[in-house]
Amino acid sequence: MAPGSDRSLSRRDNALFLLCVVLSVVMLARPEVGLRVATFIRVSVLRPFLWMQERAEASRTTRAAFERLRAERDSAVYAALFLPSLRAENQRLRTLLRTRDRLPIPYIPAEVLHQSQPTDGRTLLLSAGKAAGVRPFDVVVSAEGLIGVVREVDRDRSLAWTWMHNEFRASAFTLPDKVFGVVREAGQLTGSAQLLQLRGVAIRDTIHNGTLVVTSGLGGVYPPGIPIGTVIGQAREETGWERIFVVRPAASPQDASQVLILHQTTDTSLARAFVPDTTP
Amino acid sequence: MITMRADRGRLWAVLGLLAVMQFAIRPRLGYSQVAPDFLLLALMLYSIRSRPGAAAVAGFLVGLAGDAVTPARVGASALAHTLVGYLAAWGRAVFFPDNLFVNGLVIAVGVWIRNAVQALASGPSAAGLTYPLLVYAPLQAITTALTAALILVIFQRWLDIRLDS
Repeated sequence: MAPGSDRSLSRRDNALFLLCVVLSVVMLARPEVGLRVATFIRVSVLRPFLWMQERAEASRTTRAAFERLRAERDSAVYAALFLPSLRAENQRLRTLLRTRDRLPIPYIPAEVLHQSQPTDGRTLLLSAGKAAGVRPFDVVVSAEGLIGVVREVDRDRSLAWTWMHNEFRASAFTLPDKVFGVVREAGQLTGSAQLLQLRGVAIRDTIHNGTLVVTSGLGGVYPPGIPIGTVIGQAREETGWERIFVVRPAASPQDASQVLILHQTTDTSLARAFVPDTTP
Repeated sequence: MITMRADRGRLWAVLGLLAVMQFAIRPRLGYSQVAPDFLLLALMLYSIRSRPGAAAVAGFLVGLAGDAVTPARVGASALAHTLVGYLAAWGRAVFFPDNLFVNGLVIAVGVWIRNAVQALASGPSAAGLTYPLLVYAPLQAITTALTAALILVIFQRWLDIRLDS
């Protein structure tokens, strides 16, 4: 290849690279543009791939495994129970089913379609969409507690922002003392994206380690009584006008494989639905 | 020396297979944070056989697909994959001797760089990145590199590469 031609190819390579970088930066700077593009790709190009993933996820997760096992004879179930992973899956499923039995409001079950991106967990792609009745701002819970809230809904899938998202906020109080505060992720505060912080606690209030934090119902999005986590310590206060407590979350978005999408908000506390079951 | 006489049709077949594996096999593996990233692997395999410009565009498209399914910060994945594709294409002259270990190592580094750039670009701060970058990213890099080694060994004729023993 002639040196001149090689130089022109190299220039073209650099131009293409810069164009891609600029487009990426534009989407970072203008999230509304980026979200429109993302939604379009999700409902068009990626649709068959996500369908494939949904099938794969369903065949792996407990719901499908349990339905298959239930259809088999007792001997097969007995044999399967000795496999540690299946036993753990069954335990989670049992917990999940009891939660579903006790929930006093309508819900939609959904599989979580986990992705390979490092930001998976801040948002979750769920296998239920408009067709199943999911709407924006429906609350997403797992058997253990609060996961997040639905923000975007396609026909067959929806997208939830979890408590790991930096824009997540939920009004909460402690049980049994009912000390109020606002819960958000604690990445900047603790250096761990796996923890939450309870902010805005009045300076006169004290919360002991191990205290349960649940949604308060204020704000009209999250019904009251959904477990958020337990207090594990107090963070250093910067302003001196509030107390900040570190909370270990009850539910992990990165580990959730099935969730329930609550279809309607309520003033009635959902705390009873999350009381741990006795071990069978 | 890896010879670059790749039959594009067979290369695309392997890339297509990896794309299908990403959506049909990966969910069955569990441990989403550390399971191999077949799409990134496909991007790296393509990039090291292409010009940097084409690799950057391929990276951008793969990243855009990632942004579509995890839009915590749309654009972060596109930026990260663009950089990785471009660097892999430029680096092949330096980094790609005919050695399986080196191939795996470069792909592992690519995974880590992708995760680091995407996590940093997703903000809002570098706080809270210890676990994702020092635990999950290296583990995912290792699983992806091992998968890459397996793919290279199985499909070396299709990918038209000659690996030294």
